[in-house]
Amino acid sequence: MAVEIGGIGHSVGRKEDARFIRGKGNYVDDVKLPGMVYLDIVRSPYAHARILKIDTSKALAIPGVLAVITGKDLVPLKLEWMPTLMGDKQMVLPTDTVMYQAQEVAAVVATERYIAADGVAAVEVEYEPLPVVVDPIKALLPDAPVIREDRAQKNNLIWHWETGDREGTDKAFSASDVVVKQDIYIPRIVVASIETCGMVAKFDKVDGQLTVWMTTQAPHAIRTVIALVAGHLGLSEQKIRVISPDIGGGFGGKVPVYPGYVLAIGASVLTGLPVKWIEDRSENIQADSFARDYHITAELAAKKDGTMKALRVKTVADHGAFDAAANPSKFPAGLFGIVTGSYPFEKAFVEVDGVYTNKPPGGIAYRCSFRVTEAAFAIERLVDILALELKRDPADLRMQNFIPPQAFPYMSTLGWEYDSGNYAGALKLAMDKIGYAGLRKEQVEKRKRGELMGIGISSFTEIVGAGPSKHFDILGIKMFDSAEIRVHPTGKALVRLGVKSQGQGHETTFAQIVAEELGLPVGDIKVEEGDTDTAPYGLGTYASRSTPVAGAATAMAARKIREKGRLIAAHLLEASPDDIEWKDYKYQVKGVPAKSKTMAEVAFAAYTNHPQGMEAGLEAVDYYDPPNLTYPFGSYICVVDIDRGTGQVKVRRFFAVDDCGTIINPMIVEGQIHGGLTMGLAPALYEEINYDKDGNIQGGTLMDYLMPTSMETPSWETGKTTTPSPHHPIGAKGVGESATVGAPAAIANAVVDALAHLGVRHIDIPITPWKVQQILKEKGVAE
Amino acid sequence: MHFEGTADIGAPRERVWAFVTDPEKVSRCGPDVQRVDVIDPTHFKVVARAGVGPIRTTFALDVVFSELRAPDHASVRARGQAPGSAVEMTNTIDLADAAPGRTTLRWTSEVTINGMIASVGARLMQGAADKITQQVFACIKEQLEAPAAAST
Amino acid sequence: MRVQLTVNGASMQADVEPRLLLVHLIRENLLLTGTHIGCDTTSCGACTVLLDGRPVKSCTVFAVQADGRTVSTVEGLEQNGVLHAVQEGFTKEHGLQCGFCTPGMMMTSVALLERNAAPTELQIRQAISGNLCRCTGYVNIVKAIQYASTKMGEAKAEKQPAAAGRA
Repeated sequence: MAVEIGGIGHSVGRKEDARFIRGKGNYVDDVKLPGMVYLDIVRSPYAHARILKIDTSKALAIPGVLAVITGKDLVPLKLEWMPTLMGDKQMVLPTDTVMYQAQEVAAVVATERYIAADGVAAVEVEYEPLPVVVDPIKALLPDAPVIREDRAQKNNLIWHWETGDREGTDKAFSASDVVVKQDIYIPRIVVASIETCGMVAKFDKVDGQLTVWMTTQAPHAIRTVIALVAGHLGLSEQKIRVISPDIGGGFGGKVPVYPGYVLAIGASVLTGLPVKWIEDRSENIQADSFARDYHITAELAAKKDGTMKALRVKTVADHGAFDAAANPSKFPAGLFGIVTGSYPFEKAFVEVDGVYTNKPPGGIAYRCSFRVTEAAFAIERLVDILALELKRDPADLRMQNFIPPQAFPYMSTLGWEYDSGNYAGALKLAMDKIGYAGLRKEQVEKRKRGELMGIGISSFTEIVGAGPSKHFDILGIKMFDSAEIRVHPTGKALVRLGVKSQGQGHETTFAQIVAEELGLPVGDIKVEEGDTDTAPYGLGTYASRSTPVAGAATAMAARKIREKGRLIAAHLLEASPDDIEWKDYKYQVKGVPAKSKTMAEVAFAAYTNHPQGMEAGLEAVDYYDPPNLTYPFGSYICVVDIDRGTGQVKVRRFFAVDDCGTIINPMIVEGQIHGGLTMGLAPALYEEINYDKDGNIQGGTLMDYLMPTSMETPSWETGKTTTPSPHHPIGAKGVGESATVGAPAAIANAVVDALAHLGVRHIDIPITPWKVQQILKEKGVAE
Repeated sequence: MHFEGTADIGAPRERVWAFVTDPEKVSRCGPDVQRVDVIDPTHFKVVARAGVGPIRTTFALDVVFSELRAPDHASVRARGQAPGSAVEMTNTIDLADAAPGRTTLRWTSEVTINGMIASVGARLMQGAADKITQQVFACIKEQLEAPAAAST
Repeated sequence: MRVQLTVNGASMQADVEPRLLLVHLIRENLLLTGTHIGCDTTSCGACTVLLDGRPVKSCTVFAVQADGRTVSTVEGLEQNGVLHAVQEGFTKEHGLQCGFCTPGMMMTSVALLERNAAPTELQIRQAISGNLCRCTGYVNIVKAIQYASTKMGEAKAEKQPAAAGRA
C-alpha cells in the first residue's frame, strides 16, 4: 500500500519535472506584463570613492529612457538606506560615498531592456578615489581608514562574538601533551546559481497594491520587510503580494534583499508601471551572493595517546562594507559553534571578529546552514594535522575520538544538544565501500615509486533546521515554519507551505509526507509554495530547514486532520471514536479490520455527512516551533592523484556516506548529495574571489570564476546510514547542504595526505595546480 | 602598476624635449587616439580607445603637465574615465645627452586602474599595459628619427 | 532589419535591430521562454538551441545571423504529446532539480545523440562540458543521456527489424 500511495521512503518521480522538461517553467525573467519597463543599474568602478557629480542628461536624452534614479532622489523617500538582516544598514544608493566596486550608484528605467543598458552607459559619474581597505587584518589596525563614517563607533570592527570557556580552555591547553595549531583561510566565493537575481515589481496606483515576482527563498519575510521599510510610502502589508515563482537555484544567494529589488519597487511606485530588473551574471558575480571569507586560527589540544581534549579557534570574518550576512539575529557568526564537530571536546573557546572592508557584503549562508562549512573544514583539517603530528592513521584517530552512539542526545561543551548520531557507523561504512585498507597499501607502494596519491577523510556533523523560537529569529521574526492542508470532498488534497523550493523537489517530497500520514495517493496531493497571498507564514527555504521545520509542520497538520477524520470515521462506522484506530492507511474498528473507512471516504463525509455539531470541512494548519535543531552527519572519503608535472589534482574516487535520518525520497536525496558534493569540490580546487589592493575584483565573470563542469566533476559514489532524529515527527533531519559542508575538507585532506610525506601539513583552498606546483618545486619532486 | 624604461633616440635633446612636451605631437603616439583638445600649453584632453582582451572601451582623459624643467625633466598626470572603468597615470620623462645628436630618454609610469578593465581584464592587464607603453615610446622614437621631422 | 526563421518547424518573421541577440528573439518576440539566460560571457550554456541542427549558445548569436535558417528549442522536443527520449531520460533519471540549465542541457544532448547514437560516458561528459549545472553534480545528467541513447537505439531497432540483426 505504501508503494501505491508513494509515501515516505519511495523514489517517486518528480511532479515539477513535467513543466521543466518542456521548457514551461515560470521563472522571474519569464514574467511579462503589459506596459512593463526595464531597470538597469550604473555601478561603481571604484572600491571606495566620493561621488562628486552624477550627470544624467545624456542618459535621459536617449529615446525610451524614462527616468534615472540617484541616491539624492531616494532621500526625500527615506529609502537611500535600508536595514540588513543583521541589524546593520546598507545603502540602496549612495548619496556621497561608494563603498565597494560594483556598488549600485544609479538606476536607469527604460522601455526596452537594451535601451536601459544604453542609458547605463550614458550616465556620467565623477568620482574622487578614497583609500581602500581590502585586508580585514589590516582593517583592524589603529591607523586603518574608517570605512563606515555613518557609525558612531569609528573603527572597522563590526562586532566581537565568543562562546565557550576561555579560561578553562586555556588551562586544558596548558595541561595537554600535544597542541597543533593552523592558520586556515577560507576564501570568498560566490553562489552563482544558474539563474541570476531579479524581480518584476508591479505597483497599482489605483488600489495601492504592490505585487512582486522575485527570486527569493523567503517570500513572507520579504513581504514583512517591504512593509516595514517602505510602509511610509503607503505600502501596507495586506496589499503587498510577494510571489516566488520557479527559482533557478538559490543556495542562500536569494535570501538577502539586494538594492536592485528596492530600486525596482521604487521605480514601479514612481512610474506606476510594472518594472523588471534582472541582473547580468557579471553583476551577480561582482556585487552579490558572496560567502565564506573567514581567516581562521585553529588549535587542538590532545593527549599523546590521541585523545582530543580542547579546541581553541579565533576567526577574523571579512563581511565587506555592510553587514548583510544572512544569520539568525543572535548569531553573528552563524552556527560556527559546531566547530567541535563529531568529537566530545571537554573544553572549547571560539571567538570571531566581524570586520568591514571595501568589498561587497558577504556572509551568505551558502549551502552550509550558517557558517557550518567553515566550522567543519576547520575541525576536520585540524584532526588530520593532529594525526600527522602523532603519526596516526586519520581514520583510526577519528574512530578513537568520536562521540559514541549511546551519548546522544549529546550536549556539546559549546551548548548544542546533538539529537542523534552514529559517527563510527558512517565512517566504517565509507571505509568498507572505498576499500580503505587496500588504498593505504596502494599508497605505500606508489610512494616508493614517487607517485603522489592521497586519501582524505571528512567526518562532519552538521547543524540545521533553524530553529527553536527561544534562540532563533530573523529580524525579530521567529523561525517557525508552517503547512496548511485541505482535503477536498473527492479525497484530493491541497497543501500550502511557508517554505520555498528552488529545485529541492518540495512539490513531490511534501506530497509524500502527506501521502504517508493520510493514506492518500501522492498523485492526488497538490503542493503549492511561494505566494504570500495564499501560503501560510513561513521563514523560507535555506539552511536545510524545510524538512526539519516545515516537514514537521506538514506531519503535524496532517495528524490534526487524521484526528478529526477519526471522529468522522467513528460516525460513519457507528462506533465510538476510542475504538477507531489508524492502521494500514485506513481507519479501522479495533479488532474488526473489515469495518474500515479510507481517508477519501471520510473526506467526502466531512462535507456531506459529518456528525451533528461538528464543523464541516477537513483541513488544518500547523505552525511548528522546532524543539531543537537537527544534526545530519556523514563520513566522506576522497582519493586523489597528483600530477607531478602540472600540479593538477585528479579526484579518482569519492565515497560519501550521509545520514539524514528518515529519507523521504531516496532519489531526490541522492540528487541533493551529488549537487552538494560538486559545490564542495568547487571551492576546494577551483573557485575563489580575490581583490587587488585597489579593491578591483580579479575576474568577476564566468571566464575567471571556475565552476566545475561535467569534466571536472567525478562520478560521485553515495551510501547511507539512517539514524532518525528523536524529536522530529517523522525522524527526518534534512540533507540539502551536508555535502557542501563535508566535501571541501575531504578533498583538502586528501591532497595534503598525498604530500604529507614531503613535509606538507596544510594547503589553503582552492588547491590550484599552481599552488601544488610551487610545493612540488620547493620539495624537489616536480617533473 | 609601475613601469619604467629607457629609449635611445637619434635626435638632439632640444628636439626631443619639444616633441614630448607638445600635446598635439605626443598625443598622436598614444594608443588609438581619436581626438586631442588643447586647452593651454600644459593642459589638454584626449579621447583614446584602449583595452585589455575582450574589454575595449573609450577613455576621456584629462592630461596636465605638472612639472616642466626644460630640457631635462617633465612630469605628466593623466586621469580618465570610461564606462565602467577609470584610470590614473603619473608619468615622468628625463632627458640626457647620449652622444652628439642622440638623446637618452628615461621614463617612468605609475598607473592605477579601476573598474572593468582591472577586474575582467585582470589576468591580461600587465601584458597589455606593457605592450601599450612599448608602442608609445617606439612611436615617439620613430617620429623623432624620421627624416621629415628634421625640418619641423 | 527583417529576418525570417523557421522555429520548431514554424516559419516566423520579425523586424529586429541588428544587435538583437537570438536568445532575446526567441524569448521576447516568440515568447518561447524555455531557453534561458545564465551568464554574459558565453560560459554557461543555458541558452543552447539548435541552429540548423548544431548546438549554439543563442546569447552569442545575433538574430540576424539566424536569418533564413532553422532553429530548434526545447519547446519543439515533444511531438504530438510524446516526449523526446532525452526529455524522458532527464525525468526518469532525476537529471534536473531547479530546471534552469535543463533546456540547454537537453538540446546539447539531442545534438550529441544525433551525431553519436551510443556515446561513452567520457564522450557524454565532453559533449555537455559547455553546459553548467549547479544543482545536480552531472551524475544523473549522464545517466539521463545514457537512458535516452538506449531508448533511441531500441526505437530505431524496432523501426528497422531487418537492420537490427546487422551491427
